[in-house]
Amino acid sequence: MSSALVSGKAQIENVYLPKSAILDRVVDEIDEVKTFFWHFENAVDQETFRRFKPGQFAQVSIYGAGEFPASLPPSPTEKETFFTVRRVGSVTAAMHALKPGQRFGVRGPYGNGFPMEDYHGKNLIFVAGGIGLIPLRSCIVYALDNRERYGKVQAFYGSRTPKDLMYVDLLKEWERASGFACHLTVDRGDETWKGNTGVVGSLFKKPGVTMELDNTIVFICGPPVMFRFVLKDLKNMGFEDRNMVSTLERYMKCGVGKCGHCCIGVAYVCSDGPVFTLEQIRKLGEEI
Amino acid sequence: MRARIIDRQDVPLLIDLLRRDHEVIAPFYGRGRDTAFDVVTDENRDQVQLHLPNPYYPPKRYVLPHMQRLMRYTLGAQPAVTSDGEARKRAIFGIRSCDVAGLFMLDRHFLGGEHVDVYYKNLRASLFLVNVVCTDREQDIDEDCFCVCADSGPAARENFDLQLMDLGEAIMVVAGSAAGEALFGEAIFRKATQEHVERRRAILAEVRKGFKKATSWYGATMRLISQGEVSDEAWEEVGRRCLECGGCSYVCPTCNCFTVTDRKVGEKEQEVERVRLWDSCALSGFTRMAGGHNPRKAVHDRRNRRFFRKLAHYYVQRQLSVICVGCGRCVNVCHGDIGMPNVVEILRRRSLEQGTR
Repeated sequence: MSSALVSGKAQIENVYLPKSAILDRVVDEIDEVKTFFWHFENAVDQETFRRFKPGQFAQVSIYGAGEFPASLPPSPTEKETFFTVRRVGSVTAAMHALKPGQRFGVRGPYGNGFPMEDYHGKNLIFVAGGIGLIPLRSCIVYALDNRERYGKVQAFYGSRTPKDLMYVDLLKEWERASGFACHLTVDRGDETWKGNTGVVGSLFKKPGVTMELDNTIVFICGPPVMFRFVLKDLKNMGFEDRNMVSTLERYMKCGVGKCGHCCIGVAYVCSDGPVFTLEQIRKLGEEI
Repeated sequence: MRARIIDRQDVPLLIDLLRRDHEVIAPFYGRGRDTAFDVVTDENRDQVQLHLPNPYYPPKRYVLPHMQRLMRYTLGAQPAVTSDGEARKRAIFGIRSCDVAGLFMLDRHFLGGEHVDVYYKNLRASLFLVNVVCTDREQDIDEDCFCVCADSGPAARENFDLQLMDLGEAIMVVAGSAAGEALFGEAIFRKATQEHVERRRAILAEVRKGFKKATSWYGATMRLISQGEVSDEAWEEVGRRCLECGGCSYVCPTCNCFTVTDRKVGEKEQEVERVRLWDSCALSGFTRMAGGHNPRKAVHDRRNRRFFRKLAHYYVQRQLSVICVGCGRCVNVCHGDIGMPNVVEILRRRSLEQGTR
């Protein structure tokens, strides 16, 4: 005993215990990437969980294999809960082997998420590369479902080839949507590809594209190489660090600021992040 | 001060009092100078000593075991997840002031913040601490002790249940909690006099002078680290000396990082448990992500992490002191001679030499 921190008698929730979830169906996205639709076994858990914010994440337990952090691609305005997961290691491989009806564990949501309310009245620009669209999908859908609250909304999305474009049905919907400009590009086209060819940054200079500098928030998410080049382009155009936001990835074990793995400088990516402005990221002072 | 006096020969009786409803842990001599915490039994009860070198392994394993089960489940249609329950009551007799401060650091980390760590709390809440003040300059205090610099010793000011101080034939017992004070009703305790209090003060003043060569001047280095003014060369020198063994983290009473893994239990394929284990930021796998990307690949980046975590103003503000208690274990265990005092000195001298300020 002896210290005041130790003595509280109240029953505390065990944050490390996952809650049971059931897999409903699996959709192939691109090579090695699948979307897993699921729901909590307990309806109360489902209701509590669905109050997550765009940009938050959850810890997914695959029984017998382990646990990993996964972004939440759905928007809280959508009905279904799902994860989009690329097969990279042993636990994600075990998830890819799951069949509908099987159980796995989920705990969360964790992290700060994007402060979408603070952005009311602002223009939003989404820049994504490859599977970087997974966390940004949540914000884009959220913004479109609350369309009247935001100014001009634009998205720039690129992948290596047309086959690597994520959420193709949704992209088609976005291209047709009014009040929303969605620009796509691929590094290398194929015989069917009629759109733009080149890196994401090449879309910024396309005729007909205007990006407002004032009162605008830029969301960036993608592989490190894309991140660096896009940043350079945006800086040259005059966007300020404090108006650019991204979400970071780190090796994580607990998700609640205890295990120490995801620290960057003074920040725990799990509890202080994963969403940071570029201004904050530069202050953290470590490689991203 | 709620203080009492017991006779020197009554110390084993105090241990007996604790053993009535606690498992009592105390440091014992092993081979040579080596000491280790062990359970007090009827056989070894008479070998419990007040003065002996502090064990290499800190008592943090009684609140954060090397390996701890978080949950257990059975594979199949519906994995039933069950977690480990209550902990037994335990007392540590003879915990040093540095380690008392170390436990307090862990308390701040695991019990503070938005989420409370239930496993830690269960073990910690059933722990009774009997602190012994280091007063024997030959036995208690060695070449590497620098608790005076970390402001954690030689006598802890708080966070213990009872504190024992050797006044010669008499032992002064100070209560630091209601649970500690509750024991004062027992027959072995008698009133302390003004003379005892003055003796205590005089001995403490003398002991403070008795620390040997180890010193750690945190101030300048804390400022350099907090303001990002440590030169790359300084970090690289620390990195070059690091052998990446992780020993410093394992012997550190304040290091709290852990990893989590699932493993099969016993022979049955269906029984799986999730355990957490001590981890160290010195190891290269600490930040390596699935797919192989490692943002903190270089050794000096990893060493940077350890000392940043211990000395940056941001953390010092949250844990109320440098995250180092001056026990000297890292000095003792490190083959590359980069224990805390040495690193503090390298960072300060190297950075200032290179004129970063």
